Amino acid sequence: MGRKYVIVGGSAAGMAAAHTIRKKDRNGNITVLSNEKAQPYFRPMIPYIINGKKRPDDIFLSGSGIFTQGGISVKTGFGAKSIDFQKKTVTTASGEAFLYDKILFSSGSTPYLPENIEGLDSEGVFSLKTLSDAQGMAKRSETATHVVMLGGGILNLKAAFALLEKKLSVTMVVYSPEVLSQLMDPKDAFPIRNALDNAGLNIITGISATQVLTDSSGVCGVALDNGSQIACQMVCVGKGVVPDTGFLNGNDIKIDKGIFSDPYTQTSIKDAYTAGDVAVAIDPVTGEKTVTSLWTHAVEMGICAGLNMTGSKTVYTGTLGIMNATQVADVPLVSMGIVHTKNSEYETHAKKTRLTYRKIVFSKDGTRLIGALFIGDIKNAGIYRYVIREKKNINGIKSHLINHTVHYGHFMQP
Amino acid sequence: MSDLKEIFVNTQHCTGCLSCKLACAVQHSKNKDLFSALSQDPKPKSRLYVEWLWGNTKVPVLCRHCEDAPCVNACISGAITRAENNAVITNTDKCIGCWTCVMVCPYGVIGRDKDLKIAYRCDRCPDQDHPACVDACPTEALTYATVDKFSAEKRQAASREVAQGQGG
Repeated sequence: MGRKYVIVGGSAAGMAAAHTIRKKDRNGNITVLSNEKAQPYFRPMIPYIINGKKRPDDIFLSGSGIFTQGGISVKTGFGAKSIDFQKKTVTTASGEAFLYDKILFSSGSTPYLPENIEGLDSEGVFSLKTLSDAQGMAKRSETATHVVMLGGGILNLKAAFALLEKKLSVTMVVYSPEVLSQLMDPKDAFPIRNALDNAGLNIITGISATQVLTDSSGVCGVALDNGSQIACQMVCVGKGVVPDTGFLNGNDIKIDKGIFSDPYTQTSIKDAYTAGDVAVAIDPVTGEKTVTSLWTHAVEMGICAGLNMTGSKTVYTGTLGIMNATQVADVPLVSMGIVHTKNSEYETHAKKTRLTYRKIVFSKDGTRLIGALFIGDIKNAGIYRYVIREKKNINGIKSHLINHTVHYGHFMQP
Repeated sequence: MSDLKEIFVNTQHCTGCLSCKLACAVQHSKNKDLFSALSQDPKPKSRLYVEWLWGNTKVPVLCRHCEDAPCVNACISGAITRAENNAVITNTDKCIGCWTCVMVCPYGVIGRDKDLKIAYRCDRCPDQDHPACVDACPTEALTYATVDKFSAEKRQAASREVAQGQGG
């Protein structure tokens, strides 16, 4: 009888861990508990379910990328309810108990719903997190003509574009002075903002919603804090996510924002590991604890956890608090490391054209690259990430970094 | 040991003639011949790059098909997989142009096709015995060999240099 691995959560981190474990331990017994009904899928792809460009079949994990191993038991519809660390058992909402030798908490996150907005539980209000949310949005968008997006983050922007493509009119209400404020200073967002405006997205900034208005068919409008109202038949809330740690309530496990993780992805309790959105990791640039909700980080941390669970001790090299790449309104974008430089003393260099913007950020003393923001032109972004994350010595290449002439050859041993 | 081949780069042999880039672009054009490639719109793209370094060293840079490839881990659409010949391949049907792979590639060798809005990179010419760049290279700056063979030759060359050094 092989070792029993139980994985709580069947998305990026959990499935990356499961496939890594299977590669390392051919005899282990791997069970993944997922609270979703669908089999594991590429979560960042769900905006394509809204606009119908992809079907669920197209976005399932199995067989793609690193998810090619067999012999993994994925139990869908099994949400974890409680853990007994003494008896090494996890009990699901449906009452089943699973014994483990090693357990991974990769339960992910749930959408943050601001308490000061009334009516967010109304029919026609969505937060885009799961395949089922996307399917719900696709259905509602068949009859809706106008949708209000609350929040100007990357996920809401993707959802907004999916709805624009379905010929809905879309208004985005953003409390911050500009969209994507987590990924860049407002003044740096101009190429994106221009493209969004040109694409027909109606953006209102510096405004907050106070209430979702309803009639017999669900949502019929949104009331704003400037006293005005917008009529709509659908609302999408994108105000960030919170780690899903509810099933650990009452346990003596260290939780601070998310689940504590040591450098080897282990929690404060023996034989229990954590990875992904629910885990707290250290940002190698700022040295601070951080929780992010990025697929790429979740996969990397999940692989690391999988290695550690099989006994291959591996340090998780960390999660950049800010790191994302995407394309919105035909404009590519990469943001990573420290990119908010307004009123800061960092050494920054920016290069601007009408359609592109490249800003790079060095430490105050100018000796280390700590951030980069590329909009419209993302060439060699990976080299910059490498320098930031690995804290590379920039002697001799700093001018190349500033002038965007850096290439891999600069890192070869002469 | 593995008998799978890789493309090896010897910067000391590279003269910067760019034959490799031309051959790569032609090989990845519709009709795979130079004259129709020239008139193809949008122009076919080379998947390798020749950079200049320290005085006059030329550095051909192309996808290393990394053992633990960051792009495979990072891909959010499942488009990037490892093929049987060990090459890391981007499935053009699945790629959605999110550029996460561009963000994580430390070699900077994943390109952004602005027309098709998908990522492209070296595919080691799966339909050919040899990658087009290797065949086109006149100086053996690019070679296609197994790791074992390449390192054996490296060792032999190194020992020859040592022997010559001792003789001189």
